[in-house]
Amino acid sequence: MSSQEHPHAEFDVPPLTETIAPGTATDPDVKSAETTTLTVDGHEVTVPEGSTVLDAVEEVETDEYVPALCNYDREDIGPRSECRTCMVETNEGIVPSCSTPAEEGLEVSTDAEAASEARDVNLDLVLSDHNLRCTTCGKNGRCDLQDASIENDVEEPRYGVFDDRDAYEPIDDSSDFIQIDRNKCILCNRCVEACNDVQVEGVLRMEGHGQDTRIGFQNGAETMEGSTCVSCGHCVTVCPTGSLVEKGLEDAATLPIPGFNQKNSVGKVIESSDVEKGPMTPMKADQVTETSRETGGDAEERQWP
Amino acid sequence: MVRVAGRGAEEVAAAARERTDVPVVDVGSTGVPGVEPLVVATDDGRSAFYANATPDDAESVASVIGEPTRALPDADATVTHDETGALPVPDLDGFSGSRSVLARCGWLRPASADDYAESVGFTDAAADEVVDAAGGVLGRGWGDWNADEPAGALWEGVRDRDGSPAVVVNAHGNPGDALLAESDPFAVLEGAAHVARVVDAVQVFVYVSETDERARDTLEAAAAAYPDFPTDVAVVEGPSAYRAAEPTMAIEAVEGNHRLEARLRPPGPEVEGVFGEPTVVHTARTFAHVAGAVRGDDTSTRVLSVTGDTQDVTVELGETDTVRSAVEASGATDYTGVLVGGRFGGLTRKLDVAPTPIALDERDLGTDGVLEVLGSDACPVAFVGRRSQFAADSNCGRCVPCREGSTQLSELLRDIYDGEFNEAKITELLRVMESTSICAFGRNAPRPVRTGLREFRDHFEAHANGECPSGQCLVDADAEAETEAEAATL
Ligand code: SF4
Ligand code: SF4
Ligand code: SF4
Ligand code: FES
Repeated sequence: MSSQEHPHAEFDVPPLTETIAPGTATDPDVKSAETTTLTVDGHEVTVPEGSTVLDAVEEVETDEYVPALCNYDREDIGPRSECRTCMVETNEGIVPSCSTPAEEGLEVSTDAEAASEARDVNLDLVLSDHNLRCTTCGKNGRCDLQDASIENDVEEPRYGVFDDRDAYEPIDDSSDFIQIDRNKCILCNRCVEACNDVQVEGVLRMEGHGQDTRIGFQNGAETMEGSTCVSCGHCVTVCPTGSLVEKGLEDAATLPIPGFNQKNSVGKVIESSDVEKGPMTPMKADQVTETSRETGGDAEERQWP
Repeated sequence: MVRVAGRGAEEVAAAARERTDVPVVDVGSTGVPGVEPLVVATDDGRSAFYANATPDDAESVASVIGEPTRALPDADATVTHDETGALPVPDLDGFSGSRSVLARCGWLRPASADDYAESVGFTDAAADEVVDAAGGVLGRGWGDWNADEPAGALWEGVRDRDGSPAVVVNAHGNPGDALLAESDPFAVLEGAAHVARVVDAVQVFVYVSETDERARDTLEAAAAAYPDFPTDVAVVEGPSAYRAAEPTMAIEAVEGNHRLEARLRPPGPEVEGVFGEPTVVHTARTFAHVAGAVRGDDTSTRVLSVTGDTQDVTVELGETDTVRSAVEASGATDYTGVLVGGRFGGLTRKLDVAPTPIALDERDLGTDGVLEVLGSDACPVAFVGRRSQFAADSNCGRCVPCREGSTQLSELLRDIYDGEFNEAKITELLRVMESTSICAFGRNAPRPVRTGLREFRDHFEAHANGECPSGQCLVDADAEAETEAEAATL
């Protein structure tokens, strides 16, 4: 017996996935199933059901700082567990604390060398792909990456920062409400989850792979203006960096140096086309699942050496 | 009986059919494409092999077979054998040792349930018998969620969990899996049927790469012809990219996601797999070994595919053999080194290592069953550099240590060409990529560089001094300088 026509005949496919295509994996549940007691750097901590190791880590004064940069853990957003700056040592090896269930009797230590090295290296790796221009950034002073870097005593990121004018993505200034500067995106996925799982708007998605991974739009539009965004602003609220900023606040926190602002910091800006806009939700993701399905192999993208 | 094996067999077989009433059948590849199309004329317990046969060769064989008074043309190899339902291994380049799980490749019509039934027969073993006989089979390859671990415990875990379990046959990417899919799909499906009964699965998904059309078509035909398969079977395709074989990306593809990235773990697919249901993911090789174990075959053998600067072959070795036999079977005699164990295997010059997970792991080599030969003029520094760049270009993009780590690793390796060889910085990055990446892609990606540094340190140092001992990089650099000079004169 075979069922080529209906390959999922035997399963209840969740209806939401038919119209919303965020481009991200369906992760398993990574929270504890019961109240657990564990030790963190020698302190005993009891955390309720539904906790991760990070919840326990945050309860105590730890020996070393654990940035946990991409963690959000509110409104059912996350853990995306992509930045890996929350690594801690346990009796089961080093684990990402944000997405490891709290487990009875687990012994967690933050100052073990391997975990400490991993947090430092991974934070520097995040910075290596970041257009670090805090002085012209609208999130200066209220940015999770800035806070984590300061707290982690980053002085000279070991891989430098992303500073290649030719490779910058243009700032998307096309929407009346939200500005996108992907050169500052850490791919934490919070905006995608806020947009899809909380607002159920189905506008934003994760797209591409490797160095081309970026946030994009489910209707295939190139700009925020062409997307189906309803300007609810939720994505901006959750964004930890200067990647998504409310219009009008792009320069709110910058130093008043004449001629030097967020919009010209990158050099390329996509402006609004100022055309009359149709209804704000012309199309959801109806065609996207089929038309943009990932195909193809591994292109050799860069010459060696 | 005349068999014609391998790609291009149809045309050759058609020519033979013109000339004889003796049955002429197309069979799958033998795993040795270098001798194919291969005509095998079997008569009275003797098989004569004709390598790289043309339609003319096939005609001359066909015109005499079955005629007791006329002798067959001189063959490239001849084997006297019992009728075993398995390919009698000829003394031809590319064949090595005896075959257990590959035994029927190149001997049976792949989509013929009758051929399979006659050769080994379909076994309706009860679930307990399957666990007893095959529970010790180790998962084969990086596409297997249970790689190098005994399968039985995984099945029992899935069986004991509430839900509607699924079984995924991961036949994506690995040449050994593709060979089994194309040449002996019933063995793969039989293994899946056994496991489906053990875990009481509601559906089996067979997952292939979109570019392996032959594997897909053969598996589809075999699934349709399979007598009383215990569940629904669906053959599904994923993109051909290497990462798409990762077990959780395979599940994402099975579910129909338009973009593939790895899922978090733990828990793994055995807890939350296809649509959140407990799921077994094994490779085609693992399932074929399971089917073999249930019928009492030796399952300690390993399927190894050799590729790179040599003739591609897929062979089967016993655990007392060494990977050298496989490399020799491919015809490679002179090489800089061999990347053992898959795209992100370990680079070595010493091939006296058994193909078992324990022996391979001791040498920091991989277990994915692919041996990639670097020819004698290949530069190991450039090789691992390109492999690092491949990791940077083709990862799924989810986690920082893999996505950004592989990019920075490639830059650090490029710096060596400019005289800056910062080994401490490189090994620090390798450690963190290995220990903190989400999936096996990023966890294994450092291995070619790590082993390359150990095995070819002198080459790395030479490059930092502006020399390439193999000459390859300097040739590239000279060519570049020339192009630049030319551009300047224009
Ligand atoms: S503002 Fe637009 S893109 Fe952002 S969450 Fe709301 S609908 Fe989605
Ligand atoms: S735009 Fe902001 S919220 Fe969205 S992925 Fe990037 S950093 Fe995270
Ligand atoms: S290790 Fe690489 S391939 Fe795996 S999840 Fe991370 S980025 Fe993706
Ligand atoms: S906070 Fe855990 S991986 Fe980012």
